[in-house]
Amino acid sequence: MVNRGRRERTGRFSEDVVIDVSTARPPLRVWRLIATAIVLLIVARMLLFLIQTPNFQWDVVAQYLTFPSILHGLLVTIVITISCTALSIFLGTPIALCRLSPVLALRAVGGAYVWLFRGLPALVQIVFWFNLAYLLPRISLGIPFGPVLHSWSTNKVISPFVAALLGLGLTEAAYMSEIIRAGILSVDPGQRDAARSLGLGALKTFFLIIVPQAMRFILPPMGSQLIGLAKSTSLVSVVATSDLLFSVEVIYARTFEVIPLMLVACFWYIVIVSILFLLQVYLERRFSQGRMGARSHGAWWPWGRHRPAVASGIDLG
Amino acid sequence: MAGERRAPVLRLRGVRKTFGSELVLDGIDLDVYEGEVVVIIGPSGSGKTTLVRCIDQLESIDAGAMYLDDELLGFELVGGRLRPMSERSVNAQRRRMAMVFQQFNLFPHKKVIDNVTIGPIQSRGQVPADATRRARVLLERVGLGDKMQCYPRQLSGGQQQRVAIARALAMEPRIILFDEPTSALDAELVGEVLDVIQELAREGMTMIVVTHELRFAREVADRCVFMERGRIIEVGPPAQIFGQPRSERLRTFLSELQNLTGLDAGREDRHAVR
Repeated sequence: MVNRGRRERTGRFSEDVVIDVSTARPPLRVWRLIATAIVLLIVARMLLFLIQTPNFQWDVVAQYLTFPSILHGLLVTIVITISCTALSIFLGTPIALCRLSPVLALRAVGGAYVWLFRGLPALVQIVFWFNLAYLLPRISLGIPFGPVLHSWSTNKVISPFVAALLGLGLTEAAYMSEIIRAGILSVDPGQRDAARSLGLGALKTFFLIIVPQAMRFILPPMGSQLIGLAKSTSLVSVVATSDLLFSVEVIYARTFEVIPLMLVACFWYIVIVSILFLLQVYLERRFSQGRMGARSHGAWWPWGRHRPAVASGIDLG
Repeated sequence: MAGERRAPVLRLRGVRKTFGSELVLDGIDLDVYEGEVVVIIGPSGSGKTTLVRCIDQLESIDAGAMYLDDELLGFELVGGRLRPMSERSVNAQRRRMAMVFQQFNLFPHKKVIDNVTIGPIQSRGQVPADATRRARVLLERVGLGDKMQCYPRQLSGGQQQRVAIARALAMEPRIILFDEPTSALDAELVGEVLDVIQELAREGMTMIVVTHELRFAREVADRCVFMERGRIIEVGPPAQIFGQPRSERLRTFLSELQNLTGLDAGREDRHAVR
């Protein structure tokens, strides 16, 4: 405080004073305080609303949160989410490769798939697959224009679960293939040159060089996509698949406790989505090897210390 | 020429390459002998880079033929008919050459040591322990023994390019192709890379170097090749190419460069001092 300058009228400090800006005091930022106050006020009011409104019936929520049929519905939702994710990746990757192929026929097939399955609403597809028996009473496996190897009754093959899996999975695969294609395209072509120059074959180049680098670009949109998928699974309740939403609906159709049971469903959806989010953050860390600053975050959870954007891996170089 | 008693390591005959309607390489004939350093100079767009990319079979050629140790590159005779080789056979041929790129093209997701060992392990089938041991030696040799556990992005451009050279050497190639190895580097980092290349030349490594560093070309080259518009205009020892250029085009090219690169001269002097 010794150095606080004797100010002259002109606003300049006299020259014999040594200035060190580290001694400056931060100003009082009034607008920030006001903004904070408003936010706190709104949050307090909302909390009060949640607690004081009797119609939320929190006791009912608590009662049904771990109800056996609801836990079963939760399990079905999780299984559909995981199966559709697997289907979308295992189908989406070859479609993406088709779209990048030098062979015109493969490019056309890939393009047509994306055009068709991205174009049809998932709900329409679920209903369509569920009613496939009207179109094809039997499903046969065989060589085109050749012998039939085996055939099944469509109604036995297409259970509500399978219809849900096809409707959601095929749609997801179309979106996923575009995400994967974007990831592959984002890898510098020089990487492929270098790999080929070392004599690496196509498969090794793809899995050792291209995929690990493409993952950085694939994971963020894929995370959003999977979160969207986890929520879209609620569509399958239209074909009487006993997923989370359906299990909840069955109960409130009987007890009329609509709001608390919806809250139960909301709670579990949020839990699923949060787990997916954490998974995404973890995978992004894993695949950011070699990027500046990628390892400097100490914690594995997303709420780590604040870092500026530059340090969290955006490469400006 | 000195090497006529032996078969050349690399032989190019009438190599032509078109991109669409543009003729990029227009009948290239070139022999590179064991232990020889051939430096290719010429204005941008003259086809220098395309030529080395064609040799490494990163681009296909449209006419002519290329031989590595008398083995036809990229094509094979089957029942008296010529046809393109399988990718597998092409890769086997690529393993006997190595390339150093202008943009380094190191694998950013792999540590320096893994960048050097990936070729020997995944492509040549070496045991990881052996490959690692050899990679250590090579990295020491390019002066990066202490950077083995770093990721490429943590290194300067000059260091990255030296890693790329170690990666090329790890393939124990018959010939190394350098595609403008210093063009992407800051001026003060050029010297350290050129020193490494010069050291390799001294040890008798067979090399083709595409470069704009004329001073370096003069010091290191056994033979200089001047290319323009996809053709080889003049070939000769550096003393002839820089001292008594025969063609008008080469004279123009050299004088234009000298006018343009007052800075360049300074950079090369610094290199000479090192």
